[in-house]
Amino acid sequence: MNETRTLTFAFMDPPFESERTVTFFRLLDAALARNTNVRVFAYEGAVAQAFALQAPHGNGVHGRDTEEEAHPLTKDWIAALQRTAASKGLNFEWINCGLCVDERGVNEVIPGCGRGGPADLWRFASEAFNTLTIGTR
Amino acid sequence: MARYFFIQSQDPFTEVRTATQLDLARRLTEAGNEVTLLLVQNGVSPARQGAHSDSFDALCNSEVRLLADRFSLQMREITSAQLKPGITEADVDIVIDAMLAGDKVIWN
Repeated sequence: MNETRTLTFAFMDPPFESERTVTFFRLLDAALARNTNVRVFAYEGAVAQAFALQAPHGNGVHGRDTEEEAHPLTKDWIAALQRTAASKGLNFEWINCGLCVDERGVNEVIPGCGRGGPADLWRFASEAFNTLTIGTR
Repeated sequence: MARYFFIQSQDPFTEVRTATQLDLARRLTEAGNEVTLLLVQNGVSPARQGAHSDSFDALCNSEVRLLADRFSLQMREITSAQLKPGITEADVDIVIDAMLAGDKVIWN
C-alpha cells in the first residue's frame, strides 16, 4: 500500500521581488503533481505571499488596463495550489510566522492559510518525509 | 555514502560565495558521496559555452552530476546546444524526486 508522503518547505522571500518566488511556487506545484502532501512555513517577507489585500493593477506606461496587464498575484497562486491539492485529495497547509505577520501588518490572509510560529516549522520538519529550506541568501 | 542534491540559484559572476558552494559540491564527491547539482535562475549562466568560471569549470571536470533547469534556460534564451558538455536539461520535478528519495536537498 502506498502511503502519501509529506514534504515541508520553508520560505522567506516577499512577493513580487525575486525569481526565487517563482521557483518556489514551481516546486510546490511539482510536489502536488507527484501526489505528495505539502506543508509550507512562511516567515519574514514570505508572510505577505498570502496577503488577501493584494490587488492587480494596470500599466499606464505601456497603455494596458488591469485586465490586459494580468498582473500575477501570489495569493491567487496559493489558492490555485489549494484547489489542485483538494482535487487530488492531498493536504496543502500554509502557516505564516505570526511575529513576522505582525511586524508587517499583513494579518488578512486568504482562507486556508494560518498563523503560527517557529514551533510549527519544527513540527512540520519533524513529521515530513523531507524538508527544503529556501533562504534569501 | 550520502546523496546530496544542490539547487544552485546563485552564479559565480555576481555572488562571491558561489565559488565556495561549488567547491563544496566537488569535494563531497571526492569524499565518496553522490552529488547532483541543479542550476536554476541565474545559476544557469556559467553553463553556457564560452562562459569562463574556474570554480564552475572545475565542477564540470568532476563526478558531480550537472543539470540545468529548462525553464531558467528558456528565460535566458540558452539552448541545450549552447550548454557545456556534460550538462543535461531537467525540470524542477527532479527536486521533488530527490526529496522523495531521501536525498539531502540544499538550496544555494
